[in-house]
Amino acid sequence: MPREIALGDALVPGLLLVFIGSMLLLWGLDWLAGRYGLYRYVWHPSLVRIAAFICVFGSLGLLLF
Amino acid sequence: MKLASLARLVVTVLVVLLAVLIGHALWKHYMYSPWTRDGRVRAEVVRIAPDVAGLVSEVKVLDNQVVKKGDLLFVIDRARYLNAVAQAEANLAAAEASARAAGASINAASAGANQTKVNYDNYAAQSERRQKLINNVISAEDRANAQAAANAAHAAWQQAQASTRQAGAGQQQALAAVTQAQVELAAAQLNLDRTEVRAPVDGYVTNLDIRVGDYASTGTPRLALIDSHSYWIYGYFEETKLPTVRVGDKVDIRLLAGGARLTGTVESIARGITDADNPTGADLLSDVNPTFNWVRLAQRVPVRVKIDADHLPAGTVLAAGMTATLIVHPAPAR
Repeated sequence: MPREIALGDALVPGLLLVFIGSMLLLWGLDWLAGRYGLYRYVWHPSLVRIAAFICVFGSLGLLLF
Repeated sequence: MKLASLARLVVTVLVVLLAVLIGHALWKHYMYSPWTRDGRVRAEVVRIAPDVAGLVSEVKVLDNQVVKKGDLLFVIDRARYLNAVAQAEANLAAAEASARAAGASINAASAGANQTKVNYDNYAAQSERRQKLINNVISAEDRANAQAAANAAHAAWQQAQASTRQAGAGQQQALAAVTQAQVELAAAQLNLDRTEVRAPVDGYVTNLDIRVGDYASTGTPRLALIDSHSYWIYGYFEETKLPTVRVGDKVDIRLLAGGARLTGTVESIARGITDADNPTGADLLSDVNPTFNWVRLAQRVPVRVKIDADHLPAGTVLAAGMTATLIVHPAPAR
């Protein structure tokens, strides 16, 4: 995984790609959870959603770097 | 209902806890793992300056040309130095001639000494004979005269001996002058040789700032020669990342130019950088910058990375000053 990528001519950290990827992934997970009503089993759905995002982003970042 | 709400709480807390742990791990990894985007390709540069002064009569290289060790770079006008050599040669010949003359004068002086010795012997014998005659065969005056003549001849002999020694000393002086003239000739020859400025290393001519007709002064650099075997990379690592960097660690190098991948090893770590807060202001007081209490900027310390030249991708062009990203792979802890 490259440490930095060129967007046009601007170099941005490679972690930004991971961030965008995990946002897309979480969108899917969110849709699934909504579809099967899994949010009934948690206390604060929005807190769990942001924590799940951090889990996905952190794991991907640690794996790829 | 009570149990269900407890389960909901537990699930939420578990997910949040996991997020905190993973987030912290990623933060630590990103902040403290030893990599930097501030790598600079560096090379050793020889600043070529002429050893003798004079007008530049020939420039044998072009800008950015590749040269081998010993190749001719430029030539200083030789006329003056040729003259100096001719002068030194003439001085040497003169010194040698006067040494020969001194040798001859030793011979002359010792011949003169022999002559005065013979004279002295003659007068001494005569005087001795006259002193031995008894009964007023010759007058007392004649006897005294003979004695005086013998004494005078003795003095003349001694004088001649002294002149011989003087001539010997003169010859030594002349021989020393010959040696002196030889050294002067060697120096003039050296100056003449140094009018041809040659490449001290294999490398690339850079920033060629010399034209035919320029006056080149002794010791003033006129072009830079980049040693082609000396490329290395300085990685400016933040001090937070430095503890994991060890000499000998493998390094992945990615040049900004086309993303070429090189490998290398950590060669050494700089043991000092200038303290940016320590310039001296007016009145000899130090000029300390104000600080944000929350934001602290990490200093960067140069780490010297040796490029693995055997595994250079084909066609890689290295130029001193290029930017590179360095990723150090710390060796397992021993």
